[in-house]
This record gives sequence, structure tokens and C-alpha cells, in this order.
Amino acid sequence: MGEQLSLEFKNISKTFPGVKALSNVSFKAQPGKVCGLVGVNGAGKSTLMNILGGIHQPDEGGEILISGQRVVIEDPKAATRNGIAFIQQEVQAFDTMTVYENILASDLDKWCKKKSLILDRSAMKAEAQKYLDAMDSRIDVETPVYTLTVGDKQIIQIARALSQGGRILLFDEPTASLSDHEVAMLFEVIRKLKAQGYIIFYISHFLDEIFEMCDNIVVLRDGRVVGEAGISDINKEKLVEMMLGYQLEGSAHTRKTELGDVIFQAEHISGEKLPKDFSFALHKGEILGVWGLLGSGRSELFNTILGIDKMVEGKLLFSRNGTLAEITQGEFYKHIGYLTEGRHYDGLFLNMPIGQNITSSNLDEFSTRGLGILNTAKEHEEARRLMKEVNVKAVDENMKVSKLSGGNQQKVIIAKWFLKDPEILFMDEPTKGVDVGAKNEIKELIFQKAENGTSFVVISSELEEIMSLCDRIIVIYEGRLVGEVEKADFSKENLMKGIVSQEEGR
Amino acid sequence: MSGGLKRFLNDNKQLLIMIGVIAGMFIILSLTVNNFCTVRNLTNLLQQIAPIAIMSAGATYVLVIGGMDISNPAVMAAAAVVGVYYMTTLGGNLVAGAFVILLTAAFMGLINGFAIAKLKMVPMVVTLSMMTVGTGLATILSGTRGLPTLPAEFSDFLNKYTVIVILLAVVIILDFILVRTKFGRMLYYIGNNAKTARISGIDSEKITMITYTISGLCAGIAAVINTASIATARANMGPQSQILDIISAAVIGGVNPNGGSGRVRDAALGAVLIVGLTNVMNLLGVSDYYTTMVKGAIVIGAMGIASFRVHLAAKKGA
Repeated sequence: MGEQLSLEFKNISKTFPGVKALSNVSFKAQPGKVCGLVGVNGAGKSTLMNILGGIHQPDEGGEILISGQRVVIEDPKAATRNGIAFIQQEVQAFDTMTVYENILASDLDKWCKKKSLILDRSAMKAEAQKYLDAMDSRIDVETPVYTLTVGDKQIIQIARALSQGGRILLFDEPTASLSDHEVAMLFEVIRKLKAQGYIIFYISHFLDEIFEMCDNIVVLRDGRVVGEAGISDINKEKLVEMMLGYQLEGSAHTRKTELGDVIFQAEHISGEKLPKDFSFALHKGEILGVWGLLGSGRSELFNTILGIDKMVEGKLLFSRNGTLAEITQGEFYKHIGYLTEGRHYDGLFLNMPIGQNITSSNLDEFSTRGLGILNTAKEHEEARRLMKEVNVKAVDENMKVSKLSGGNQQKVIIAKWFLKDPEILFMDEPTKGVDVGAKNEIKELIFQKAENGTSFVVISSELEEIMSLCDRIIVIYEGRLVGEVEKADFSKENLMKGIVSQEEGR
Repeated sequence: MSGGLKRFLNDNKQLLIMIGVIAGMFIILSLTVNNFCTVRNLTNLLQQIAPIAIMSAGATYVLVIGGMDISNPAVMAAAAVVGVYYMTTLGGNLVAGAFVILLTAAFMGLINGFAIAKLKMVPMVVTLSMMTVGTGLATILSGTRGLPTLPAEFSDFLNKYTVIVILLAVVIILDFILVRTKFGRMLYYIGNNAKTARISGIDSEKITMITYTISGLCAGIAAVINTASIATARANMGPQSQILDIISAAVIGGVNPNGGSGRVRDAALGAVLIVGLTNVMNLLGVSDYYTTMVKGAIVIGAMGIASFRVHLAAKKGA
């Protein structure tokens, strides 16, 4: 890799109107090492990365040195010129085009045949192949990208970064949408790149990944570096404490085991693809977990029950006055709340104020019966009450939701459903992309609400979380119910049992 | 209460800008054009503005949910011709005739809404087709010799003062519904993120149908006003180029063409600006071709400023 590559931040500060996002951040990243950048939401990770990416400029006095040379990164193009490349969690690709076209998309000028506008495709293929080979990837350069898995698309993204001369690679939550198998594959690639002497930054909320991937970590809190350590010199508890600035207490809640009567029963639910013939019952005040691998039809189960996707077969029973009776999907929707997996996709009205997001689930509460005239004063008051209840950190209810951190956005959605106060809350990955502190708060909120008689159905792919949260877990595999585990028997082995027996049965 | 004042200024930025520009134009015209600032001239001007302003109110509803309705002028002409045909050739009652106009237009809007909401068709394509259907219907019904003239009572009743009252009533009512009622709020939710709206339990199909029906109804109200002012109806009373005025009025008034924000009040002021401008250029003897060009440029300019502002806000807020 030529002369010794290095990257050093020196006294980087960044002041936004009213907020000091970073103060005097200094550290050095070494080539051939994976540097984990950790911190809760709002700690300054994104600001620091945006400075490196040329989106923001640091305050006077801060310096970035690459291989000992001071560089000014005035815009994203300058970042690319300096060999800085981002691998984002949302994979950006030209889906209908081929792999090699995607890899070399950024400077097509280079690939024109002499003095013409015609692309030299065979040279392009060879070049693209070179980068794939560097990662030992077996992706065919001529396949169209839409046929690839998310994991493969990420490899393409990395190859694109390498083709632009990337030497400093930033992985920002790269595993958020990958399956276990794809994560393993990605880690293999990162290790190879590391061995070839690249500087690699790794940002993730999953601490397990940090410990698996990183050689050293830099911990940010409130815009300052509060710790640097080799990965072998630190443990998880210590790391969490550094991130939060205080010790995380285990949940004080001991869930009472006696549950109410059955409030809801799904019978033989089948969708167009997934789920298949799925039945389960839910008790009053129960927190029921739905666990399964990515692609097992977890979200589809929710969508089918709730009528977002078409229900081909099945019926819903709901108890209103102590007796279970069949209920239509439309009617059932009035008794439930649904926190979806994609916060930005279908969870929030991003460009609207926090208050109007919260009240969107239950406008009837604020409007007159006949003409539906809104009582905005009461609306603001209720929004403020709920923001306090779930502890949304914001200036006031008029702030746009898009300006909040992930954890606070998630709390806004929870506040929205708490306002409606439904009998049943369906939650799909309630702590996805949320930092450790907010994660615990959200869990606490679910416990409290369940204590007051609300029933929960929760999907989570984090084993630890689902086991600490739920009273009972049902296991889904290829859209079918393959297991049910009571609280006393919670363990990874017991949850996997159903899945393993299915796989073996093939 | 400086915080409250700041909030008010921020919430009503668009209104204040519009009022400022219109006031500026008004002052310049009063000083330069003879007899501009007379009751007669100003009421005449308002009468001309009314149909466009009312249709841009309907367009605001459609734009807020993230839709598009370019059939408005054609629907207006078709409804007017149907109504006048009923009142003259079929010998119908004048009051009933006005309702025939309104119902025809609303019904055409409902068909737009049905195709878009239930059949999931693309708004642009649906309303483009409705435009040609409307124009065709108007041309066929008015025949080669055109429709007869209406009895004078129709135009006498719907004189310019009545028209101004109708204009104010429509703008005030539609603005109130949009900003202060549950129904209006749902339009903003749908325009902001239709998927989230659905998850939140909002029946967006129904709301979308109602919205396009309202847009049609606004075209119907404009049709009644236009019919009264020419005492008959013609197929060419809603030229296709008029849709530019309608959409520009809304966009200049700060209605987001991508959905999710905007107010009827501001769109109506946008109509004052657009029609006022057309009028002034006519007075100055500028050719129609130039006028259209200038209007197009203004729309692009207004949208450019709007997206630049969004860009700035994003940069500041990050």
C-alpha cells in the first residue's frame, strides 16, 4: 500500500447553532486494524463521520491528517479523492444494471474506448473482477444486481469503494439488514481487507459485533472521546458504562407469572406466500415473543393478521366482554397498535411535528363528533403529556420528527400507540437501531404497560432481548409455527429446536 | 410572548411573503395605471380571479395528499356545457341547472378518485384521460352552432359581488377544513407518508376519493361562475393551458408539489398573483406567448426557491 497509511484526528470540534456536537476529538487510526467507533445516539459518531466525509466542516483549529499530511475535506468529492469511502447500511445500487456496471458506475469516463463515447465493456469486466477477487467473492460480474441478496449487494458496494481508490473504509451499521450467514460472509471480507492494510472504521449498535470484529475501540460520549482501548483490554459491562457514563442497572421488574384470560386468538392464518396455517393465542397482559430467522415470515405474520397484506385464509377471535368471538380485520385494527420494523418507511411522518405524529393514531380524541373540528390546544397538551411519559428528548412538541435521534424517534412511535391505548400492541423489532440506553427505557415501558393489562406481541431477532422481555416465545420457520417455549425453558437451544428439526426433516 | 410571535411568523411565513408581494404589486399598479385603484376595477379583477382561485383551492387538496389533477379546466368546461344544455335545450330550471353543473363536476372528480384510489392508477394518466373525456363531452354537447344564451336572471343573480362572496366563502371554508378538522389533518398525513398513514389506521382510499371529488366540485363552482359571466357555456371556456395557472397559483402559494404541506389560503393568494400578473401584462400589451413563458418561469423559480429552502434547512439541522 505504498508509504505508511494512517489517519489522525487532531482537536476536532464542531459547533452547531446551540449545540457543541464534538469537542477536541483526537485519536489515530492504524492501517490493518479495525477501529470500532461506539457511543449512544447523539454521542457525536455521525458528526465525526460527516466531517470525514466532507459533509460538515470542523471548527477552526481542528485538523485531519492522512499519512501525516494535513488534508482539508471541503466536500464529499474531496473525501473520495482522499481515499475515504462509506459503506452504508442501506445498500445503494442500480438494481437493473449488472454487477460490473454498478462497481464502476462512478467514473465511466475512464472506461470509454479511445476518443469515443463507447464503453470498453471487456476491460470493465476485468477491472470489476479484480476487486471481487480481492475479496474472494464468487459473484458473477455479469449478473443483474436485482437478483442478488442484500449481503452480495453490500459486497458490490465495497468493491465500488475500492475501485474509487478507497483506502479508509467506514462501515456504518453494515449488518442491520443482513442475515446471520451474510454477516459471517461480510466479516470474512472485512478481515481480508484488514490484512491488506486498509484502515477500517466499524460503527455498530450491536456490541457483540464490535467485540468480534474490532481490534481497538474509541468511545464517544457527549462529543468527547471518553476512552480508547484495545479490544482485549475491555469487557462488555465496562464498555456500556463508558458509553452511558453510568452503570446500567438490570431491570427491576419481576414479571408476575399469572396472566389474564385469552384476549386474542389467530386461527390458521395464511397469507399469499407466508405465513402458512399459523395459529396462536394471546392472554391479557402477556408479552408474547415471535422468534425466527430473517426471512422466516415474522413481519409477514403481523402484516397478514392486521390486513396490511392479504389474508388468504384464517380467522381472528377477539374477546371484548370475556367471550371470544370472531372479528373482522377492519374492526380488529381499532383495538390494536402496530409498531413496524421500518421507522422511516412506514412508522413516522418525518416532516411533521412530534405532536402531530403522536396524535395521528387517535384523532377522534381531539375532534368534535359531527364535523370533526380539531381541538388543537388539547392536542398539544396530550402530546406533551405522552412525550413526558415515554421520555422523548426534544425541545418541544413542535419539533420535526426528522431531527430526532433514532431512539427518540422510536419513542415517538411508542407514544403514538400509548395515546391510543389499545388492548393489543404488535411490535416488530421495537429496539432496532436504538442505542443501549434507549433500548432499556423501551423495555421498561413495555413492562409497565403490560402490568396495566395491555397485551404485547413482539418480534425481535436479538435472542437476549426477546428472552428478557417475553413471557412466552413462539418460533416461526418458513411461515409455520414450529415451536413454543415457556419462560422457564428459555434458552437458545430450546428456541432452535423447532428450526433444527425442520431442517433435518428435509 | 416573543416565542409565540416567532412561532406565528414562522408558521405564516408564506402568507406574509404573499401579502408583501401582492401589496407591492398593488402599490406600483395604483401609482402607474390610471383608474386601477377604483372599486369597479378591483371588483372586476376579483371576479376574474375567482374561478382560478377556487380551482387552485381544489388543486391544493389534491397536491397535499401527494396527488395531481390536471383535468380541472376540462371538467369545468364539460360540467358547464352539461348544465347549460340542461337549462336551455332541455328547458330545465336555473337553480337546478346550477346544481347539475356542480354534480357533474363532482362526479367526474369522483371517477378520477376511484381510478386512483381503488384501481391504483397513476394520477397523471387518469386525470389526463379525464381531460380529454371532458373536452370531448363539452364539444359534442355544445354542437357545431354552440349552445343558446341563458336567461338574464342567471347572470344577474351571479353578479360580481355574489361571485366575490362565493370566492371568499369557498376559500375560508376549504382552508378551515384543511387546517382545523380531522379530515384535513388526514390529508397531510397521507401526503407526508401514505404507508405510515395506513399503519396509523387512516382509510386513505376513502380520503383520496373524497379529495378528488372535492377537486371536481371546485371545478364545478368555477363552472357556475364562468357560465354566469358569459351567459352560456362553450367547450373552449376551459383551455388546457389554464391548468398551468391553477397549479402555479398553488405552488407559488407554497403548496408542496410532492405532498404533505400547503394551505388553501396561500394558494388563493397565489391565484391573485398569477391572474393579476396576466392582467397587468395584458394591459401593457405584452403578447400571450410571452405571458405564458413568464408564468412558467415563475413556477420553476418558486419551486426552485422552495427546494433551496429545504436544502438549507437540512444543512442547518443536521
